[in-house]
This record gives sequence, C-alpha cells and structure tokens, in this order.
Amino acid sequence: MFENIIQGFATVFAVGPIVGIIIGVTVGIIFGAIPGVSGIMAIAIMLPLTFYVDPVVGITMLLAVYKAGIYGGSISAILINTPGAAAAFLTAQDGHALTKAGKSGKALCMALYASVTGEMLSTLVLIFVAAPISLISLKAGPIEKVYLLLFAFTVIGSVTGESISRGLLSTCLGMLFATVGMSSITGATRFTFGMPELMSGFTFTPMLIGVLVMPEVIMAIRKRHNPQANLGLTVSPNPEDNRISWKEYRSVLGTIIKSSGIGTILGSLPGLGSTPAAFLAYGEAKRTAKNPEMFGKGSIRGIAAAESANNAVCAAAMIPMLTLSIPGDDVTALLFGAFLIQGITPGPTIFFEHTQVIYGIFAGFLLTDLVLLVLARIGFKFWTKVASVPRHYIFPCVTIFAFAGAFTANQNINDVMILILFTMFGFGMRLVGLNPAAYLIGFILTPMLEQNLDQAVAIVGSEYHLYFTTPFAWIFTALAAISVYSTIRQRKKAKRPVMAKEEKYDLS
Amino acid sequence: MMKWTKTFTSIAAALAISLVTVSAQAEYPKKPINVIVPWGAGGDSDLTTRVWADAMEKELGVPVVVINKAGGGGVIGTTFVANAKKDGYTLINAGLSNVLVTPNFSKTPYSFDSFVPVVKFTAVPLGILVAKDSEFKTFDDFIAAAKTNKVTQGSWGAASSGTILANIIADQAGYTPKFVHANTTAESMVSVIGGHIDSAVSFPPAFGPHVKADRARILVMNSKMDAYPGVPTFADYNIKGSFEGWSGIFAPKGVPEEVVTTLVEATKKVMKDPKVLQAFNNMGAVVDFRYGEDWVKDLKETYAIMGEAAAKMKKK
Repeated sequence: MFENIIQGFATVFAVGPIVGIIIGVTVGIIFGAIPGVSGIMAIAIMLPLTFYVDPVVGITMLLAVYKAGIYGGSISAILINTPGAAAAFLTAQDGHALTKAGKSGKALCMALYASVTGEMLSTLVLIFVAAPISLISLKAGPIEKVYLLLFAFTVIGSVTGESISRGLLSTCLGMLFATVGMSSITGATRFTFGMPELMSGFTFTPMLIGVLVMPEVIMAIRKRHNPQANLGLTVSPNPEDNRISWKEYRSVLGTIIKSSGIGTILGSLPGLGSTPAAFLAYGEAKRTAKNPEMFGKGSIRGIAAAESANNAVCAAAMIPMLTLSIPGDDVTALLFGAFLIQGITPGPTIFFEHTQVIYGIFAGFLLTDLVLLVLARIGFKFWTKVASVPRHYIFPCVTIFAFAGAFTANQNINDVMILILFTMFGFGMRLVGLNPAAYLIGFILTPMLEQNLDQAVAIVGSEYHLYFTTPFAWIFTALAAISVYSTIRQRKKAKRPVMAKEEKYDLS
Repeated sequence: MMKWTKTFTSIAAALAISLVTVSAQAEYPKKPINVIVPWGAGGDSDLTTRVWADAMEKELGVPVVVINKAGGGGVIGTTFVANAKKDGYTLINAGLSNVLVTPNFSKTPYSFDSFVPVVKFTAVPLGILVAKDSEFKTFDDFIAAAKTNKVTQGSWGAASSGTILANIIADQAGYTPKFVHANTTAESMVSVIGGHIDSAVSFPPAFGPHVKADRARILVMNSKMDAYPGVPTFADYNIKGSFEGWSGIFAPKGVPEEVVTTLVEATKKVMKDPKVLQAFNNMGAVVDFRYGEDWVKDLKETYAIMGEAAAKMKKK
C-alpha cells in the first residue's frame, strides 16, 4: 500500500498534474468566492477539457476545483457576509463578525487552516480505511437518515439568538417555503398558485442571498445619515489580530479533529452533502465550548468547526463513489461522469484495475491541499484589503454580484425576481426579529428530510415497529435529546448575571 | 386610410419574407449554438450532451455551449426552448422524460409537437434489479412475490419516467410494486444493495458498476447488451413496448429545414469518431444514432402509448 502511495506521488510530481492542480485551485477559489457561482459550475465547464488529457491530470484538476471551491465559499462569507456556497453560511456568521471587528485576516486564516486540516484528515481516511467505512455507510438507509436529519435539526438551538420561540418560528417558515414547487416524490405541485415559474420551488442561491445579504445592504442605506454608523471597516493595525497563532490553532485543534470526523462520516453517507455536516459540527462545537455565547459573534472555534467539517466532506464523499460507485452529492456525480468518460469505472475493482491512476489521484489530493494552502495564503493580502474598502464601495458591488449571481446559476430571470422577493422578506424578518440562519436551516434540511421520510414510510408500510429496530434510531434520538438538553441548560446559565469576563473574541 | 395600412402591411410582409430568406440562405451556423439540458450537471443526459456538443464544436466551427437549466422535473428548460427563437441557435437535450412522459402525465406548457426531432445519439435500456443475495432469482420469482403488493421497488418520483415505465411493465405482468421514490436512480441503487428495498428500476449507467462488482443482479432488461450476457428481455416475458431512456437533440418547431440537415450531417461525422463512441460506451450507454422519418414515426408511436398509459392511470 505504501509502495502504491509513493508511486502515486511519483505520478503526480510531473508538469501535467501540477499545472492541472494549480489551475484547478485558482479556478476553484475564484468561482467559490464569487457569490452565486459555485464550484460545481466550474467543474461542469471544465469537464470537456479533461476528455483529452491523462486521467490523473484531468481528474486531479477537477478535484482541485471542487476542494478549492468549497474553501473559496468562505472568503466571500467572511469578507462581505455573502456565502458563496450553502455550507459556508455558518462561516459567515462568525467570520463576518470578526471582519466587522477589523480582524478579517484572522477569520480567513482560521477558515483556511481548518479547511486544509479537515481535508487532509479525511483524505487520509479515504486512502487508508475507505473500504470498511463504505460498508458501514451502506447500512444507512432512508430510515437511518431520517433520524440523522432530525438530529441535524437540533443545530437550530445553536444558531438562534435570544429567543428560542422566534428561532423555531423562523425554522418553520423555512420548512414551509421549502415545500413550494413540484414534489419530486409525488409529482404534486404545492403552493405554486398556478404559476409555472414556481414549479421548481424557490431557487436556493438567490433566496440565500436575498435573505442573508441584501438586508445588510438595506440596513447600511438606512444608516447613511447616522454619523455614528461606522460605514468603513478598518483593518486592525495589530498584526496579531489578523493571523492565527500556533497557540490559537492548537486551542481549536480538538474542535477541528472532531468536526473533521463528523464531516468524514457524513460525507461518506451518500446523498447528504456538506451542509448538514457543517451544521452538526457547529452545533457540537458550540455545545462543548466553554463560552458558547461567543458563537455567531466572532468565534474562531465556530469558523474552525464549520469549515473543517464541510471540507472534510470533499474527500469523504469520494469514499462511497470510489468503493461502491455511489456518487454522494451533485459534485461527485459530476466527477463520477468524468471518471466514466476516462474509461475508469469507479467501484471496488478500481484499486486493482487502475492502481496507478487511483493512487496518483490520492497523491494529487494531498498535493492539492498544499497548493491550496500556499495560493490562498498569497491571496490574503488582497482579500483583507477588500474588507477595508469603504462600505459605500462594497455594497454596490455586492448588489451587482447578488443580481448577477442570481441570474447566472440557471440563466433565468425568475431567479432575479426571487432575489428581490426574498430581499424584502429577509429585511422584514430582521425588522420583526426572526432569525435568518434558523430559517435557512429549515429550508435546507426539509427537502432531505421529506425525501427520506417518504421512502422510510413506503418501506415500513404499516409495520411501524420497523422504525425502531435500527440501532441508529436510538443513537441519533439520544444524541438529539442530549443536544436539546444541553442547549436548554446553557441558556439557563447564560441568563444568570452578566458574564464574569468579557472577551473580545473566543479563544477558549 | 385602410389602403395605406394595407400597403404598409404588404411592405412589411415582403421585408419579413426577404429577411427570412436571407437568413435561411446564410450559412448556418454563424454564432454559438446553445444546447439546453433541462437537468442538473452530471446526469446521463447532461454527460451525453456534453460529449456530443464538444465533438460538434469541431465539426461546425462554432462553440456549442451546454447550459443546464434544471428544475420542475425538466419542464423549465424544455419550456424555455419551446418558446425560444426558431433560428436553430437554441436546442434542447430531449429524452424519454421531458418530451414523451411529462407532457402526457403532467400539465406542461409544451407538447411533443412543439419540437422537431433532430437526432438521437444514445439509448439506455431499463432493467429491474435486485441485490445479489435477494431471494428473487428470476423475474418469475419476482412477479410471483410482487403480486402480494409487498415488494418494494425503487424509482425516482411518482411522475418520473422510471415509475411510468415500471407501471406499464407491472400492469402487463400483473403485479403491483410498492414504489419507494428516491431523488435519483443512483440513490435507489444504494438502497437496493444496502438491503433497504427489494428491487429497483434503473439504467446501465447507474446499475452497471454494481452489477460488475457483483453486488446487484439484473432480473430482466429492455434489450440485450454485450456487457450483460444471459439477461432475459421484457419481450421474453411477453411484455410489449420499448422501455428505454434515451438522449438526443430536438429543435423548436419552425426552425429552417437547413438547420436540421446541417446538424444531422455533422452528427453523422461525429458519430464515426471512435473517441466519441468510446466516451458514450464508457458511460454505459448504447450508441443508437437515429434521425429522419422512421425515427420520428417510432417516437410518435411511443408518445401515443404513453398517452394511453396516462389515461389509464388517471382513471385509477
């Protein structure tokens, strides 16, 4: 095995693969960072390019786009509070809070280090224990996933602010909006009021931008005559505030490892994608943190948890794909196609039939992490400057990106309407104190829950006891109960007289 | 006054006609051609279209751009092309689902007649799959058990092509499957080999790897494939009809003749390129290059069969 890996590295250390990785990482970061343009689009566009090159070059390039794209999503999330990808929206919560405090560099560093660590760890899992993990992931059918998703819902407790009831109400609104459109299960159209434009429901990206980003812009406009409002963000002059020290990194390493574990496990379950992993890791990190009240207000631990988990999903999603030929999410489905076109059928035999290629790709994975680390680090100087540009330059740009991003995803003008509609909705939510994060969790998780629940119901039929025969049912129910209980306990604690000491940011 | 309007109209009409003839005489294609795939990136339809588009680009000398306009079960993108300019620069990736099944089973703003079929490049035969260790060794075992209405079958949505075909098959064989709808057929296959459901309907690109890895068994499929020797076909069980997914290109109705001819001629050359054929083959699709009247007649027949099935289902 080690021999294979070394050979793999030998394959990758050639001009072709290295150039491919560098191009892939650059494209990935840029596409990931532009709101509304996701890594998957870049992969789809680059796919035909890979038809004519060596599989090792082609596939490592696409994988580099994938990985860098997920990291890139955190850049715009941190700097302008516009997550480039759904999974980065928790990163936006804490990362943008740090940017507002002039510490965008710290947030970017944390996101990068956490991303790279998470990816490395899950890549190692992929290389060494892919086969046994894949067998476990097969055991998770629709019934098990229902419980897992119910557990994921408990993250609401971690993102809602002071009022739990408002948080729950926001989630319910999200769940309601998620049901709009044609049900992929029954084919019934719901809440479309006869409008064919609503058949496919509310498109996610424009809605996300509308709810999360545009209200910020409106807020800024409202405050323009207020001399107290600080429209320009200054980058803190203290260099300590714009980097992550070894001590800080070490202090969150536990969280990173745990979150990477969560990401790896969820990533290896086909069909869930990176968002639930980020939710669960974030919830878990907050639950076990010493000062959970900092989460959402600029906690580096929060960034570390969300980023390491969603990046760990990248490599882990390759586990079911390579060992069981099951693409785990939309990106791996596309990569699966790339493999097929190259004449390589992903599956258990891949390790024997295409040993050199597959280990070359694994080595490429690890190399991609290093390239990402270096290239992203070079970009920091530029990006932190972006954060210090006065808001009255930033916000018009954000608005343009928002509209262009809404349009480009499906090249559909209706999506721009959705953006405008949800901008009003999101602004309204803010005015009445509803929570956009909780709303989005409801919106994201509901379709997955519905799909799996429907399958579970069809499988179980009238033999209801089958719901409780799987050990997953009990484990996840117990975890959900623990999570709810500890959220309630934390809230009780938080209500006691003012915190003993105030920290500027979370170091715990 | 009346006369003046008449003169004006006739001038405008003459102008329009001459414009049309000019543009028809001009060489097609002069600018990039957009091919709309009404599904997300990465599916069989998307991949086959990308391979075709890439090869056509070299043949035609203009970019052939694949655009994914997903949503509404393929209706959104297909409607877009049905209403697009009829100049041959906007084409649709047509398949079983968006032009044959959905217009019959759901309310769509378009029908089969909104388009002109151009070419079909690949087909994928539908198969019924069970896990390796399933008690159903043959399709007969399966039919016998499925008559009790207790056998679960994975498909991808109640109004999806998979379910429609599966229903037509089940109707003829006299059983009623208990459908379990996943998002995609790949997910159904996971549930089959994970032992969560009893069977699934699926296509070779999704089930091929599982069959090769000896984790799933094909009970029956639409047509013989070299890759899967010894598998009986539906015809062997006296089940009539063609149960295959396919991928091809349609243009909106009213495009100039020349567009269809140019595209067919270019595709003829493309379909001789061993690299293209290899790419299709690698995906698990059967190359089934068809064009012209015969094909359109077959399509219309299948469309009518779907219409009947839809009427039957609605009565239930």
